[in-house]
Amino acid sequence: MRLDPVRVGLLALLFVVLFLPIVAVGLNAFAVEWAGSMLPVGYTWGWFAQMVTDPRFGQAVRNSLILALGSLLASSLTCVPAILAAHCYYPKLDRLLGGLVVLPYAVPGIVMALGLLRLYAGNYGIVLTGSPWLLILGYIPLGASLYYMPMKSSLNALAVQDLLEAGYLLGVSDLKLQWRVILPCVRQGVVIGLILNFTLVISEFVYSNLLVGGLFPTMQILMYVLRGGSGHLLSVLIMVYFVIVLIATTLVSLIVMRRKEAL
Amino acid sequence: MTKNRWMILALAPLFAVLLLFEVLPLLAVVMSSFSRGGSWSLGNYGELIASGYHRSAYITSAWLSVLTTLIGMGLALPICRFLQRVPNGLQTIILTYSNIGANFTGFPLAFAFIIMFGLSGTFTLLLKAAGLIEDLNIYSIGGLVLVYSYFQICLGILVIFPSLSAITVEIEEAARLLGVSRLTFWRRIGLPILSPSLIGAAVLLFANAMGTYATAFALAGGNAALVTIHIGELVAGDVFSDPNLADALSMILVVTLVVPILVEQFWFKRRVRHAA
Repeated sequence: MRLDPVRVGLLALLFVVLFLPIVAVGLNAFAVEWAGSMLPVGYTWGWFAQMVTDPRFGQAVRNSLILALGSLLASSLTCVPAILAAHCYYPKLDRLLGGLVVLPYAVPGIVMALGLLRLYAGNYGIVLTGSPWLLILGYIPLGASLYYMPMKSSLNALAVQDLLEAGYLLGVSDLKLQWRVILPCVRQGVVIGLILNFTLVISEFVYSNLLVGGLFPTMQILMYVLRGGSGHLLSVLIMVYFVIVLIATTLVSLIVMRRKEAL
Repeated sequence: MTKNRWMILALAPLFAVLLLFEVLPLLAVVMSSFSRGGSWSLGNYGELIASGYHRSAYITSAWLSVLTTLIGMGLALPICRFLQRVPNGLQTIILTYSNIGANFTGFPLAFAFIIMFGLSGTFTLLLKAAGLIEDLNIYSIGGLVLVYSYFQICLGILVIFPSLSAITVEIEEAARLLGVSRLTFWRRIGLPILSPSLIGAAVLLFANAMGTYATAFALAGGNAALVTIHIGELVAGDVFSDPNLADALSMILVVTLVVPILVEQFWFKRRVRHAA
């Protein structure tokens, strides 16, 4: 079936529409003034300079990156070994794990945040609210499916039982087999999980607002703070956020493309 | 023996975190939703059912979610079908972009739409100049439909595209060569094959919309009459704070989302068993 021009046109139009919000924010970030006219009356770097020299900006970007890094470490160290072990040795646990990691799709973030507030705001003698540790730990269940899905699709394509048997016959320990054979085979799934988890943490607002808020202001919290202003500074912040997400997402797609070629 | 020790070391941390930061918090919400004034009670639920304020928020959330799910599915399916025919490189770029779009929520998305469709937004002015509209209020429910549709379409593309590989362009071409019309092809072959994954996708989109908090909060603040916003108000609001009521409302929301998922799973399993 050939590409007919009408469809190509429609698709192009659609992606222009999908791209417009980002263009609008970009224009506003550099607009001298943009009120009551179709397009900005002039362009300036002024807002950009004002935002990046604002101490709140540095603090928010730093906090977001610290949170993201801490989260990546914590989530990869907990999720990756558990997913491998469950898939290879404990199919029953694997089914349970599969259910637990998709639970956040059925339970909205605001409800989960509410639950964390019930448990860790001092009702049971533990106070974690106000601390970024609660976010780092709380993001693990939210991000687990991002490791689980791509790793499972790699693992399912792998004849794990044959590899394990071969390992036994050759007298290789399970640990060594996992580290030297299985993990390298699912490496790309792990990397995809890491990058998607990064995007999740840097975009997350509900947990960080309700559980920690102003005590550890992230980029999303600063957006909330800036919402009442002229909007130009907020636009600059959104663009910075957007560039960070774009870089992360581009990395994912490069990895996915390489994976396709490898198959 | 050593194997078991390593296995526990590998599995325990994740299961512990899932227990402490997912399962127990959820149980805490369930328990406290049945508690009122320190004793067990169904009073929270009774109050919610009797309250027109919360009931209307629930109804608004539900139809907003159903409508934007239909919009998302209705546009994503033809887009995905078309995407199958474009070169691989372009396909990846578009899917990557959809991934950004699906994650493009909360303040960034809401503010982008305020710039475009706010009181003096470019498109508001354009549409007014063209005489197509008299007034546009992005902060209203109509505005929420517009903004939700954006991420629903992107999410729809992401979840539908992989499942479409079951119907290759070649299959459709073969059917067309045999004289089957496009409509008949989709009615008799395409949709029946895809229906389990399409229903799964629709359930996911519905849950996504129904559970959205950040985007609605960013756009309409505490004023939007939606379930998630009401929960937020009951937890952190200055005026209406009532934590137990928030828990009960949360449980109603969760049940609304879990039931379609369970029905879908059950229905799908039965189909598979019948086919086997």
